[in-house]
Amino acid sequence: MGGGIALLDYNNDGLLDVFLVNGGLVNSEHPGAQAKESFDRANPRYWNRLFRQNQDGSFTDVTKAAGLASAGDANYGMGVAAADYDNDGFTDLYVTSYGRNILYHNNGNGTFTDVTAKAGVAAGGWSVSAGFFDFDNDGKLDLLVTRYLEWDLMHSKSCGLSPKIYCSPSEFPAVSSVLYRNRGDGTFEDVSAASGIAAKKGKALGVAFADYDDDGFADIFVANDGMEQFLFHNNGNGTFTERALEAGVAFTDDGKRISGMGVDFRDYDNDGRPDIVVTDLARQSYAVYHNEGHGAFSYRSLQTGIAALSGVSSGWGMRLEDFDNDGWKDLFVAQGHVMDNVEQIDAGLHYLEPPLLAMNRGGRFERTESGWPEPAAGRGAAFGDLNNDGWTDIVMTVLGGKPLVFRNRGGAAHWLTLALRGTRSNRDGFGARVKVNGQSQYATSAGSYLSASDKRVHFGLRAATSASVEIIWPSGVVQKMDDVPADRFLTVVEPERPR
Amino acid sequence: MSALWFVVLLAWQTASNEALDRLKAGGDALKQSKAAEAVAEFRKATEAAPELPAAFVGLGQALMQSGDYRGAVAPLQRALELNPDLPGARQLLGFALLAAGYANEAIPHLEKVRALDALGVAQLKTGKLTEAIANLQAALAQRPGDVDLMYYLGRASGLLSRQTFEQLRTTGPESARAHQILGETYAVLHNTAGAEQEYKEALRLRPATPGLHLELGELYAAESQWEKAEKEFRAEANLQPGDAEAAFRLGNALLQQGKVPDARRELERASGLAPGMADVLYALGKAASLDGDPAAAEKAWLAVLDIEKDGPLAGQAHFGLAGVYRQRGNAAKADAEMKEFQRLQKAGR
Repeated sequence: MGGGIALLDYNNDGLLDVFLVNGGLVNSEHPGAQAKESFDRANPRYWNRLFRQNQDGSFTDVTKAAGLASAGDANYGMGVAAADYDNDGFTDLYVTSYGRNILYHNNGNGTFTDVTAKAGVAAGGWSVSAGFFDFDNDGKLDLLVTRYLEWDLMHSKSCGLSPKIYCSPSEFPAVSSVLYRNRGDGTFEDVSAASGIAAKKGKALGVAFADYDDDGFADIFVANDGMEQFLFHNNGNGTFTERALEAGVAFTDDGKRISGMGVDFRDYDNDGRPDIVVTDLARQSYAVYHNEGHGAFSYRSLQTGIAALSGVSSGWGMRLEDFDNDGWKDLFVAQGHVMDNVEQIDAGLHYLEPPLLAMNRGGRFERTESGWPEPAAGRGAAFGDLNNDGWTDIVMTVLGGKPLVFRNRGGAAHWLTLALRGTRSNRDGFGARVKVNGQSQYATSAGSYLSASDKRVHFGLRAATSASVEIIWPSGVVQKMDDVPADRFLTVVEPERPR
Repeated sequence: MSALWFVVLLAWQTASNEALDRLKAGGDALKQSKAAEAVAEFRKATEAAPELPAAFVGLGQALMQSGDYRGAVAPLQRALELNPDLPGARQLLGFALLAAGYANEAIPHLEKVRALDALGVAQLKTGKLTEAIANLQAALAQRPGDVDLMYYLGRASGLLSRQTFEQLRTTGPESARAHQILGETYAVLHNTAGAEQEYKEALRLRPATPGLHLELGELYAAESQWEKAEKEFRAEANLQPGDAEAAFRLGNALLQQGKVPDARRELERASGLAPGMADVLYALGKAASLDGDPAAAEKAWLAVLDIEKDGPLAGQAHFGLAGVYRQRGNAAKADAEMKEFQRLQKAGR
C-alpha cells in the first residue's frame, strides 16, 4: 500500500529535496498463525531515503548523513507529513508506519533527530496518511494521524480461494484517527477523545485540510476505504463534529460507499470555496464534491468529466494543481489497482496503470498525456516546483519500483509562487487562505495519499503579468498586496498587525 | 402409494393368504419408510404368488425407496408383463428407468402415462430439446413454484439456444449473426478486444441488425468508454426509435459524461416508451436533479419507490430524496428519507 513521499527543502537552500518512505521486510512466513511481528529495517534496502537536490538538479542520497538511516525494527513504513512543527525555520518529518511512528526533528544542520518519545506522537496501530495543521489557531502546528484498520499479523487472513485476493476492509474492525495538539514545548498532547475525533471509527487512508465553511478554522476530510467518508467540522473550541452525511460528502450521489484512498481539498472551479476530490477503486468513480457554500456539497463527478475518466481506474496519490498555469487547477492521480492479480478476476481492470493527468477546462476535466505512458503501480504522489521554474513538477512512488519524477515542460503562461512565513500564525503559514486574481488556495503540505507536498503556494496567472494577492492568515490577520509582478517566488511575512 | 394400493385391491381376491399377508406387511413397511423390510416382504410375496402383479409393483416401489432404481426395473417390467394396463406400474417404471440413467427407455412409459415433468427431463437428457421444453413448460404451468422444473426448463432452453447457435455458425460461418454470437461469447469471457472486433465485423456485414449497436455499446460501457458507448447506443436508438432500452442506455451514457440535458431528454423518452421501469425512473431523477430540477427529480424518485420498496434502487431513491428535501430546507422530511436510506443500507440493500 505504500509508500509515501515528501517534497521539502530540509536544508533551506531553496531547492526541494525528496524524502521517500520505505516499507520493510515482513518477517513472518505465515501470517495468521502464531506469528511474531518483526520488520527488518536495518538492511539498507528497507531504509527510508532522503535525497538532497544539488544545484544542478541532480540528487544525492544523504539518508545516512541526515540520521535517517534506520527506522527501527518494529514498524513498516507507510507515509510522511512535513512541516516546521516547532517554528524554528526548518522543516521536520513525521513518518507513519504500521507499528511505531517517528517524528524527526530537523536540527538545522542537515541532520534529524528522532524525538518521538519526547514528543509523545508514536501513535501505534496501522497509521497511514498524516498531516500538520493548526486546528486551534494558536500558532503551533498540530498533527492528525489517520489509521487504517485494526489489524495485525496474527489476525491477518486471506480471502478468495482461486485466485487468492486481499480481504475487503469490511473483514476488519474500524479504528479511530489520532489528533495531537502541539503544546509548543516540543511535546504533543493526545486530544483525540477530547476533540471528538476518536468518536468516529473509520478505515482511513487519506487526509486533507481546508476551511470549507469559511469560519476561520481548519476542517478535516478523511478518505475512508469501503465506508462513508468523514468530514470533521472544526467547532472553533477545540472540538470537531463529523458532518459528512449532512454536508453531502459521505457517499456518492447514489448513496454508495466508495473506497476512498487519496484526497485533495481545493477549489477546482475558482468560486472561492474549497472542493473535495477523493480517489478510489476501479468500478467506482473518483468522487468530486463541489462546495456549494453554507456547509453543503454536491456530487459533481459526472459534470466535471471525472467519472468518465476514472470508471476503470484505481487512484491513490493526487492533487488539484495548476500544471499549465492557465488559472485552473488540473488533476494528477497516481493509479494502479490494489490487487496484483486483478486481471484474473476482472479482465477489464489492470494492476498497473499509467497515471491520470487531466486538464481543467473551466471546471471540466479532459485527459492529456502525462509524459509517462507506461503502466505502473502508482501510490504516493507529491507536488512541487523542483527546479524553481514556476511550473509544478510531480514525484510519484511506485509500489515495488523506482519513483517517477515528472518534470513540467512549462510554457508561456505566467505564474506566482508564494512562500508564507507566519509570525503570529504558525511559521509555515498553514491554514492561510490565499487569493490571487480570483483564485484561491489553502496553504498546506497535506493531502494526496501518504504524502506531503511543497509548502509554497502556487498560482498560474495565464496572461496576467501582475497579481492582486490577499492572504487571510490563521491568526485572522488579512494582508493585501496589489500589482505583484508575475513569474517570481515571493516570500510573504505575516504582518504583526492587520494592514 | 395410492397407485400401489389400487393394484393391491384388484389382486386381493385372487391371491393366497400368505401372499396377501406379505403384501400388507410390505405396504406397512413402505408407509413407515422401512425400505429394506418392505423389499423383503414384497420379495416373499412375489415368491408366494409369482403371477400377482401387485407383488412386483410393491417390490419395485420398495427398491426405489431404498435407492436401488436399477434393481426396481425388473420387477416393474414383470408387473407390466402380467398386466400391461397397470397405470401405476408404468409410471413407476418410467421413473425408475429415468433415475437409473435409461432416459431413452423411460420415454415411452412416461409418454403413455402423460407424466410431463419426468418426460420433459428424459427428453432433455436424450437431446430432444424442443419436446422437452414444451413438456417442461406444461408441467411448470401446473406447478408454478417448482424450482427443479425451472432448472430443467432453463437448462433445456440454454442447450437449445447453444445448439441453434452452433447450427447457425456451421450454416453461415461468415454471416453477421455468426460474428454477433462470437462477439457475445468474447464479451462473456471479458475479451473486450475480441468482442469488439466481432461486433464490428457483424455491423460491417449487416449494419442495420437490431441489437448489435446495443451490445457493442454495452461492451464499451463496461470499460467506461462512454464516448464510444454513446455513439453505439445512439445508432441503436436511431435504428429502433421505439426501443426503450436503447434510449435508456443512451441516456445513461450521456449522464456518465456529464451531458445532463441530453441525458435527461433520452431518459424521458425511455420512460415514455416503457413506463414504470424503476431503473429508468431512478436515472431520470438523477438527471433531473443534476439539471437543477429538484421537483422533477422528486417525482421520478417517488415513482421508483412506488415500484420498489426495499431494493437497492429504493435505497438510492431515499438518498436522493433526502438531498432534495435538504436543499429545500425541509429537515424533517430529509431526515426521514435518510433514515429509510440507512435502514436499507443496514439491511444490505
